[in-house]
Amino acid sequence: MRTLLLLLVTPLVLTVEAATHVVRNGASLAAAIARCAENDTVLLKSGTYAEGTITIARPMVLRGEGWPVIDGGGRGEVILVKASNVTISGVEVRGTRVSDMNDNAAIKCSDGTNITLRNNRVIGCFFGIYLSGVEHALVSHNRVIGDAAVQENRRANGIHLWKCSDIRIEHNTVMHHRDGIYLEFVTDSQVANDSSAFNLRYGLHFMFSHRDSYTHNVFHDNGAGVAVMFTREVTMTDNRFLHNKGTSAYGLLLKEINDAVIERNTFVDNTVGLLVDGCNRALVKDNTYTGNGWGVKLYANSSATFKGNTFGGNTFDLATNGDLLLSTLNGNSWDRYRGYDLDHDGLGDVPHRPLSVFGLVTERMPYAMVLSRSLMVNLLDQAERVVPTMTPAGLEDTAPLMRPPEKANLTVMRVLGCEGENGQARTEAGAVRRPCYASTSTVFTVHTRTLFRLYLFVNCIAFFTCALSNG
Amino acid sequence: MWKVCRYTLLDLLRNRSAVGYTVLLLLITTGLFMLEADNTKALITLSQVVLAITPLLTLVFTIIWFYGQYEFTVLLAVQPLRRSAITQAQYVAVTGALLLAFWLGVGLPLLAWAPGATSLTLLAAGSLLTTICCALGLWIAVCQRDRAKAVGIGLAVWVLLVLVWDALLLWLMYSFSDRPIEPLIVPLAALNPIDLARMMVMFRIDLAALLGYTGAVYQDFFGSPGGTLAALSALLAWTLLPLWRAVRGFQRKDL
Amino acid sequence: MDRIVFSGLGKRYGRQWVLRGVSTAFAAGEVVMVAGPNGSGKTTWIKCLLGLVHATEGTIAVNGRCVGRDPMYRAGIGYMPQYAEFPRELTVDQLLRMMNDIREAPAGGTDDRLIGELGVDALAHKRIGALSGGMRQKVSAVLAFRYRPEVLVLDEPTAGLDPVSATTLLAAVQRAARAGSTVLITSHIMEEVQRLGDRLAYLQDGRLRFALPPDTIIGATGEPALALALPTFLAQQAEQHVEGL
Repeated sequence: MRTLLLLLVTPLVLTVEAATHVVRNGASLAAAIARCAENDTVLLKSGTYAEGTITIARPMVLRGEGWPVIDGGGRGEVILVKASNVTISGVEVRGTRVSDMNDNAAIKCSDGTNITLRNNRVIGCFFGIYLSGVEHALVSHNRVIGDAAVQENRRANGIHLWKCSDIRIEHNTVMHHRDGIYLEFVTDSQVANDSSAFNLRYGLHFMFSHRDSYTHNVFHDNGAGVAVMFTREVTMTDNRFLHNKGTSAYGLLLKEINDAVIERNTFVDNTVGLLVDGCNRALVKDNTYTGNGWGVKLYANSSATFKGNTFGGNTFDLATNGDLLLSTLNGNSWDRYRGYDLDHDGLGDVPHRPLSVFGLVTERMPYAMVLSRSLMVNLLDQAERVVPTMTPAGLEDTAPLMRPPEKANLTVMRVLGCEGENGQARTEAGAVRRPCYASTSTVFTVHTRTLFRLYLFVNCIAFFTCALSNG
Repeated sequence: MWKVCRYTLLDLLRNRSAVGYTVLLLLITTGLFMLEADNTKALITLSQVVLAITPLLTLVFTIIWFYGQYEFTVLLAVQPLRRSAITQAQYVAVTGALLLAFWLGVGLPLLAWAPGATSLTLLAAGSLLTTICCALGLWIAVCQRDRAKAVGIGLAVWVLLVLVWDALLLWLMYSFSDRPIEPLIVPLAALNPIDLARMMVMFRIDLAALLGYTGAVYQDFFGSPGGTLAALSALLAWTLLPLWRAVRGFQRKDL
Repeated sequence: MDRIVFSGLGKRYGRQWVLRGVSTAFAAGEVVMVAGPNGSGKTTWIKCLLGLVHATEGTIAVNGRCVGRDPMYRAGIGYMPQYAEFPRELTVDQLLRMMNDIREAPAGGTDDRLIGELGVDALAHKRIGALSGGMRQKVSAVLAFRYRPEVLVLDEPTAGLDPVSATTLLAAVQRAARAGSTVLITSHIMEEVQRLGDRLAYLQDGRLRFALPPDTIIGATGEPALALALPTFLAQQAEQHVEGL
């Protein structure tokens, strides 16, 4: 029995004591890999290794030191992994071939398990990191930076996963690709703490990828924002969707998604913050929408529950395309809400009707947008709010919050630090600068008398602000 | 002309209504920024208030001021001065005073609280409206003997520009929604100085929404040299035409 | 040579002729009193001369220069309106300086005697808005005389003034006439007219009935004073007119 156990343990001990092959500049990486036994380590010293496609066909570790550059020379794939138990870290990969026929990638892994790609740089490649049919992998701390000068048809996805499961994609940065992160048929996976920006199409794009979670990611300045389709049981929490602007650009587009949880996300300065199209049982909770053209577009074919969301400074808070009655709004905070709270329970005593008649008009005639925020349009909206005639009467928040939840403010505060491409701060529309309570307390400490005068004055101009500010 | 202008301006700077106008703007602006924690939202509300009341108050102020100044204007007309020089001097003086009031009342707080492209656009738009409405007010005042009637006409002009024009545009869009009316809308709106000023500001604030849909239309119009030229000449026409009519009207007027 | 020549002057508002066929001439140094019932066209006539009202027909020449487009003829005109208004926020001093800026000083320098005589110097640093009506009239009088005008037009000059100031002003009128100014004064006070006027120009229904020395009028009627003589003279004129037909 003991002998049997020993026999079983022996290969494990051998694995632990695997050899390390050091490759220096001028030596051949491919030759070193060919020399490797299973589970050996190749330690790649700094230098440039241009040897066409490097194929890894058995379990091993490829570790770079001092950012060695592996250059494919534009001949096809650069690193092709055809085995399980492979780790690649610390290398810089360049020189894929742009092709209409093959999905050439900087690092392509197919049909393996237990893959780790950590702390690599992928610069100016066609596809960046490509996992196909992989199970249980970790893709973390990679920087996948495409070539900003290249046309769309010569770009591909930064991190591309197809038919995978149990993958963790964490702390990666993807820029200037076609889609930043693309998942198709990827299940039971987590995408967390990634940043995807300046991609031509979508920052994140997934289809048929069930039971995945997306948390603490930032998607900004992507051509069309983030699109997710035909998926069930998705959880998206604490993400930020920023500055996605264009004719069909969305912070987050949900299409045919069932049982999704969208929680604590921030949507700032997008053409459409959140578009919900054909989604069933979506829970949209505690999100913040500021400075978007449309905070939420909620199509009538969806059933969603909106709770604890904060809307502020959007051109339109909510728009829809029919007499929708499947969704419910309850306990959200609307900056346009003008109701009162006599029983001081923090909830407005009259319902809020977030749909604006001008929103309906622009839905039919987009060019009516030229009248945005004109006095006439404001009066129209004001009148509609008092006597609803054109907007569906069913859609209203029955218990609107009197003030935004504090955590909403803090979330927005963090947006402040949102960096542009070169780290320049964004100061234009959307970035909310001070949380409400801070300034109020400052005012209170100044002078009660000044405050009283201010109050009198505000009463005097109440007419103007009421008539003008509601559009 | 400059001499008359200088002294008229000197008089206007101590004018109680002009000071009141400055204080009102200052109160609105600072009040909004103090009460509204979110500067972007304050800016939106502010631009709506400013774009609505600046033309109104400028029109009414210019008209009332002209009548208050009437006897002195007569005295000036008896001096060896060209009538046209008197009107021009008065226009420059009253515009200068109101512009100063606007910059003090809106510009200073804006630059203090929300410096940036949007604020500068708002200031430019407000200044343009001030120049235009002074010319309009002067024209109305010169051509009307009765002060109450002139103020009435001023109010009517304001309502026309701020409400009726937009209502007509909307009606136009509705009734011709099946025709390719789209390229007409922006130029038609830009013909109205208040609309143009509003679009200038909103183009910055509502960029997210506008880019989504009419972005292209806007860009086509304002982005192209032709469109910019057309908008500028529309603004110039709104200033020069009333001013020219006011000068001619005053030349022919029996005082 | 005549300083002011009116020929066939007429003014129409709508269909209503308020002034028609006025032809006369006034010499240098002459004081002309303009009188007539309310609405007879006095103000319109004066305003035509000042260039405030554009004549419908006829011409006015001042020193041989036609009243019309060129505003420079007004450099020789001083005008004191019935009610003067100035920018309320300027001080008297600033107003005087402003006028100095606008008008060129005449050959002999500005005539500042009235400033002292009417006590305007004491008001120098007061806001015009704080002045009473009479005080503003004094300022207005100072401005009218200041540039030694060849033609001086005073509209009811003594109406708003206290008796002492009125006397001072009338003395200044005589002084100006002696210096060669042609003075036109509208007045309802026949005593003033008789005392000051070299001629009385009488307007009725927009027409100039006569422009004669007061003495001639008094002489023609045998009444002791112009106030009494004028109605009688007008009646005589009317009779002659009827006889003439």
